[in-house]
Amino acid sequence: MEKEIRGIQLPLSQTQKVRLKKALELLQSLSLKVNVDASVVVADTITVDHEDGVLKGHGTADLNGEVVATICGVVERVNKLVYVRALRSRYKPEVGDIVIGRVVEVAQKRWRLEINYCQDAVLMLSSMNMPDGVQRRRTAVDELNMRCIFEENDVVCAEVRGFQHDGLHLQARSRKYGKLTRGQLLTVSPYLVKRQKQHFHHLEEFGIDLILGCNGFIWVGEHIEATDDMVEDQVNQSDPQVLLPGKNSVSLEEQEKSYTTLETRKYICRAANAIRVLSTLGFNITLEIIKGIIDLSLSMNLDIHDMLGSEFCVLVAEKEAERRSSNKKKR
Amino acid sequence: MGGLSLGEKHFIQGGIAQDLRCDGRKRLAYRPIYVETGVIPQANGSARVRMGATDVIASVKAELGKPSLLQPDKGKVSIYIDCSSTAEPAFEGRGGDELATELSVALQRCLLGGKSGAGAGIDLSSLIVVEGKICWDLYIDGLVVSSDGNLLDALGASIKAALSNTGIPRVQVAAGTANDEQPEVDVSDEEFLQFDTSGVPVIVTLTKVGRHYIVDATSEEESQMSSAVSISVNRQGHICGITKRGGAALDPSIILDMISVAKHVSEQVINKLDSEIASAEAQEES
Repeated sequence: MEKEIRGIQLPLSQTQKVRLKKALELLQSLSLKVNVDASVVVADTITVDHEDGVLKGHGTADLNGEVVATICGVVERVNKLVYVRALRSRYKPEVGDIVIGRVVEVAQKRWRLEINYCQDAVLMLSSMNMPDGVQRRRTAVDELNMRCIFEENDVVCAEVRGFQHDGLHLQARSRKYGKLTRGQLLTVSPYLVKRQKQHFHHLEEFGIDLILGCNGFIWVGEHIEATDDMVEDQVNQSDPQVLLPGKNSVSLEEQEKSYTTLETRKYICRAANAIRVLSTLGFNITLEIIKGIIDLSLSMNLDIHDMLGSEFCVLVAEKEAERRSSNKKKR
Repeated sequence: MGGLSLGEKHFIQGGIAQDLRCDGRKRLAYRPIYVETGVIPQANGSARVRMGATDVIASVKAELGKPSLLQPDKGKVSIYIDCSSTAEPAFEGRGGDELATELSVALQRCLLGGKSGAGAGIDLSSLIVVEGKICWDLYIDGLVVSSDGNLLDALGASIKAALSNTGIPRVQVAAGTANDEQPEVDVSDEEFLQFDTSGVPVIVTLTKVGRHYIVDATSEEESQMSSAVSISVNRQGHICGITKRGGAALDPSIILDMISVAKHVSEQVINKLDSEIASAEAQEES
């Protein structure tokens, strides 16, 4: 069982090591046993029925008439096709996924976004709802004002629209999508974020927004009412020239007034550290678990930074094992 | 590390102004330091230091050499840093050279003292075998494996850990050689001498963001800095070296203020580092 701990890079004392090992063992025993032989490592043989004919897909190779895996992952079968889905890889988009990306380029009628996929995603100006909310043809003026909507390095939330001839396309046809400000972006391995019904969360008790991007980019920020944004953008749109120079020349005093309040910031940092703990432990990231960790840390009256210490990590692992085993008993 | 959006920059600056940084730290709090020693078996001493996502390795190699003519009673120490391209794609090829040279120079200033070797954290006269003829040359090599800000402090800590892990073989000098001949030596491969590393300073970098300064900045915070002052402090609380990075000018009174803060912070860092090194050494032996 030493191998399970090896992946978790934490300075652990002897007792903490034992406790973590126990929690992980319990978690392992609770996981479903159905798909055990579906997970393969390099050079494992994949059992196939040769009479039906086999199409070897990604991550497989032919070795002396046997199909073997060339990467570590889970075997997937679609009719005749057999391929291996790698465990720790870049994000693989699926249509309808909610992703968070960073703008790397403002190009002709489109933005290019970094979304941890093997190529940059494209967000067309035409697949954006205009800030005035009216559906209309995009004019040359709109094209010139693209930087008023998103600039380079902006963090943007969007939905995967599908693959076109020139790559992966995104769309942002709703008010909930768009630029994210006043918060921090975290990056975790994409496999930790599973597709759920809801990826946008507003934690009312803390006044924070939490967006779990399927690509492993997670946004934690101050809660912003979607409608407020609209009014602001309308002002932007009507008079972009006036606003742009002002953005850089704000005095330090004015800037300080507009900072996120300390109370909200504490919750943002607490939520962010909860996600960091989950990421080091390699646990799935869902709203329920994040809330659980925030409550746990609050009830222990723990300092925000101490949440990243080994002791709290071990505690979270134990709580998670406890939670899953009680869930199992209920069923 | 790509750029940050205006919103994120604003959030980071706000956090530093309000004394609550993105990972919940206060302005003068370090990330947990994690030390592993003896990571390179071929070297005389080595250590790996992790602070958050920053990960550095230092190794010490000792070779017999000739002392320089100007200082016949002292050994030689040289420090080289290499930035691996695994840390950041920009370091590929010659991309990391500039940063590597900057770090090497800063470390040499902070740890090796003046040209004469006086005031060095490492006692150079302990490296002498036969005065004017044979001495130990120490080659200290640092490697940046992963970079998340505050590289200089991490490298300083790793060199301190590597030196305390270093064993210099005991040397027997054959007696009765003529004065102008190179004496014969017998290097023992069983007996090792430990270094005295209590004098090796730690480096505390204070990064100025807005009107406040912080210790142990992450790379995101470093991208917002106006200037940074690295101060190396030894156990006695004496300043061994100061280097400043970043273009923005600083008021002298702020520098004095920073020095007293660094002195205060360094006490905790030295204690933390020493206990980490001790536990790492204990772990290695078990």
